[in-house]
Amino acid sequence: MTGSRLTAIGITKRFGGLVAVDDVSVTAEPGTVTALIGPNGAGKTTLFQCLTGSERPDAGQVLLDERDVTRVSPDGRARLGIGRTFQRLAVFPSMTVADNLGVGAENRTNAPAVLRVGALLLGILGFPVVDVKRHQRRVDEVIELLHLDDVRDAPAGALPTGTLRLVELGRALCHDPTVLLLDEPASGLDTEETKNLQLVLRQVAADGVAVLLVEHDVDLVFGVADTVYAMAEGRLLASGKPDEIRTHPAVREAYLDVEAAG
Amino acid sequence: MLAIDYALAGLGLGAVAALSGVGLLVTYRATGVFNVAHGATAMIAAYLFWQLADEWSVPIWLAAVLVLFVFAPAFGVLLERVVFRPLQRRFATPAEGLVATIGILVLLVGIAFAVWGQQTRHPSSLFPARVLHPGSLTLHVDAFSDLAAVVLGTGALGLALRLTPLGTQIRAVVDRRDLAELSGVDADRVAAIGWAIGSVFAALTGVLLASQLALDPFNLTLVVLETFAIPVIAGLTNIPIAIAAGIALGVGMSEMTLYAPSDAQVMNIWNALHANAPIVVLLLALLLRNRLPQSGGDAGLASTFARRRAAEPSIPRMALQYGLAAILVFAPLTFDPVSLQRAQEVPALGIIFVSIVAVTGYSGQISLGQAGYAGLGALFFARFSSGTPQLAALLAGVVAAGLVGFLTGYPAIRRRGLFLALTTFAVGTFVSRFVFEQPYFTSGVTVSRLSLFGLSLRGDRAFYLFELAMLAITFLIMYNLRSGALGRALVAIRDSEDGARSVGVDVRALKVLIFTVSAMLAGLGGALLAQQRLSFTSTDFDPLAASLPWFTVVVVFGADSAVAAIAGAAFVVLINSVAGNASAYLIVVGLVAAFIGYLPGGIAEAGRRLVEWVLTPTTLLRRYAEASRPPPQPTLSAEGRAALARVRAARKAGSTP
Repeated sequence: MTGSRLTAIGITKRFGGLVAVDDVSVTAEPGTVTALIGPNGAGKTTLFQCLTGSERPDAGQVLLDERDVTRVSPDGRARLGIGRTFQRLAVFPSMTVADNLGVGAENRTNAPAVLRVGALLLGILGFPVVDVKRHQRRVDEVIELLHLDDVRDAPAGALPTGTLRLVELGRALCHDPTVLLLDEPASGLDTEETKNLQLVLRQVAADGVAVLLVEHDVDLVFGVADTVYAMAEGRLLASGKPDEIRTHPAVREAYLDVEAAG
Repeated sequence: MLAIDYALAGLGLGAVAALSGVGLLVTYRATGVFNVAHGATAMIAAYLFWQLADEWSVPIWLAAVLVLFVFAPAFGVLLERVVFRPLQRRFATPAEGLVATIGILVLLVGIAFAVWGQQTRHPSSLFPARVLHPGSLTLHVDAFSDLAAVVLGTGALGLALRLTPLGTQIRAVVDRRDLAELSGVDADRVAAIGWAIGSVFAALTGVLLASQLALDPFNLTLVVLETFAIPVIAGLTNIPIAIAAGIALGVGMSEMTLYAPSDAQVMNIWNALHANAPIVVLLLALLLRNRLPQSGGDAGLASTFARRRAAEPSIPRMALQYGLAAILVFAPLTFDPVSLQRAQEVPALGIIFVSIVAVTGYSGQISLGQAGYAGLGALFFARFSSGTPQLAALLAGVVAAGLVGFLTGYPAIRRRGLFLALTTFAVGTFVSRFVFEQPYFTSGVTVSRLSLFGLSLRGDRAFYLFELAMLAITFLIMYNLRSGALGRALVAIRDSEDGARSVGVDVRALKVLIFTVSAMLAGLGGALLAQQRLSFTSTDFDPLAASLPWFTVVVVFGADSAVAAIAGAAFVVLINSVAGNASAYLIVVGLVAAFIGYLPGGIAEAGRRLVEWVLTPTTLLRRYAEASRPPPQPTLSAEGRAALARVRAARKAGSTP
């Protein structure tokens, strides 16, 4: 297990009588792209929520660099280096794209709570602690990487879904995450945008980030992932390299053929 | 008397409380709107009943029929048609619906105030107030009649909801209006019926309550507002639980008289608890239930209250703005003494309004208890100012208000929208009832204006200048809250809490902080207001007469603009001194708030647009040029161009064989 950036061990989550995720373990390694696939209701999203902290698992552990973060809140995990995007967009509609990304950059800190509250108080009194200029450089880099120059100063609320997915990705990247969790990043993107996304994800992984995505777009998954986990009915069906999963009989039966027929 | 006698005596009030709670619940179930104006509807119905039965001597039964079965349903249908259907059509957010209901409440209170004045009326009882003595018991006939009316009314309603197609349709419309409409349900008709039923329940509540309590524009409305505890206890769904909770509340309050303690000091507290049991129950119910069905996301708040874009800095425009502001701000120094004294109210009230901008406009948290903090600031200043240095007393007021704001911030962490609004309202009402209205805290309190380092501020001009200095500090803090990383983080929480959490914004700390800062500002404004009036009066900081109208003014003038808040304060002071009482401003802002959907961002946003269009003719030219430019051609990817070339080549090859 050593060397894994993010590890989930034996995650189980129940909703009433329904076992949404049943004893599933996954890992995400730095410098690689890991994908989580499965038909609707397979428990991918629930597992994802357990990783981000939006849900708390009934059993199992989430480790970040071998530190147990199972009980850490979503914003606490974010400050520890987990970046994420949302399936249902959660951008800041009244802010410009640049400010959306700025919020991503400005709140990455390892400072303990006392210092953070202290910084807030100083901010109210007019002594901002955050080095806005330094973060602005990071924002500029990411805007260039994602080709968002044209919409830089546009309010996010007025932009189309495809662009907003990139804005969310950019916000997460500005956060300088060591783990990047993406919830269906390609939904709402056209072919061209998906292709671009694929390149961006490879580049992010090449910088040493552990990327984990939940995705329906099979082409994207098999084009970009180093490791694929296939889930069905709350359980882990198979895991391995994309080619192994593509030809795995159980996965074909549970998911890929259905997907091809649909 | 025996415990059972007390229980029987409490039945009447309990029944009416249950009725009010069920009415709220039914409107919510049938329309998806939690009708904050329920109490005001009850109050207006009670006034009409009094007008008909007691002033115009219409027979009681006829007056009841006219009010309950003609006026009330018509009023409900009117509300649906004029206010809520357009909101529904525009897919408005629940926050807009909430503001609209608060607007209607303020409007109705203003109308009652204007038409019937502030004196207390005593309407006749719908049922004869006779007492029977079967055996050793004491039976109040009117209490039992109330109970019978409630049981009949809710029973008939419950059966109708269960057995008729209408009931199914109501449930369908509430769950998924779009799907219900697709399957042929006339959603508008269902919503109109829901509003009509809710209105009838409110009217019956008002008529029954008015004979037990007294009738004035504020009191009855507030009593009904306090029965919000009942739908909250019932989880906004369960009618039988709501009835049981209402009756338990009435009986419980009555039983409290039996167990009154003998110690005088404890007795005072006991009496306060007894008189204000509903608000205590409401506060507890809201604090204990942290998993209520959430109404509305956060993005809804953003679009309702804030439309501000990043403005391009323009030196001539800034010079014009600051110049105009300076002239307006210093102009009152040249006024005659009476006008100057009136103008002194503007900075004090303005600071309180700005505190609402901080919490609601900048960070999206609805706060309906702002008068509570303002009153604490005033009261603590007044109590400390005789013994300690007066600047320290002012600080004590600010800190006391901040402390309660800090405590309110904690429940705000997990609550949003309607439930946050109700919680803040309950806190404000609690403070008003248990502090401002208790002689223990307020008797013998005198307010004098402070003197600063031996420099007396008793003179009207000196005091006004001091207020301006405080206003300047307030604006400095507001500027800091608006700018830089802190400002962005606050707006991030307003726009999307989940999004903010995902990048490490400390939502808990920021929410508690913004409530604390906002309460401190309100406390400062309150202390200045009391000094301006040279007195501390509990009605100046009443939840209904102050908190709700103040919130409405701020939303109407533009919740994300501190300057607009000051303009709002000036408007209130001006219109009050012209009209002579508060009714005119209540009617105006209530009316605008009810239709705030047509004025997103409030007057501030409309003003910004106007300035944009009028002051810069170039905008017009630019827009014209933009509109006449041909639309950009779609750009193709490399593959796309290759594919297109292939298709063209193939077509060419095909056409020329």
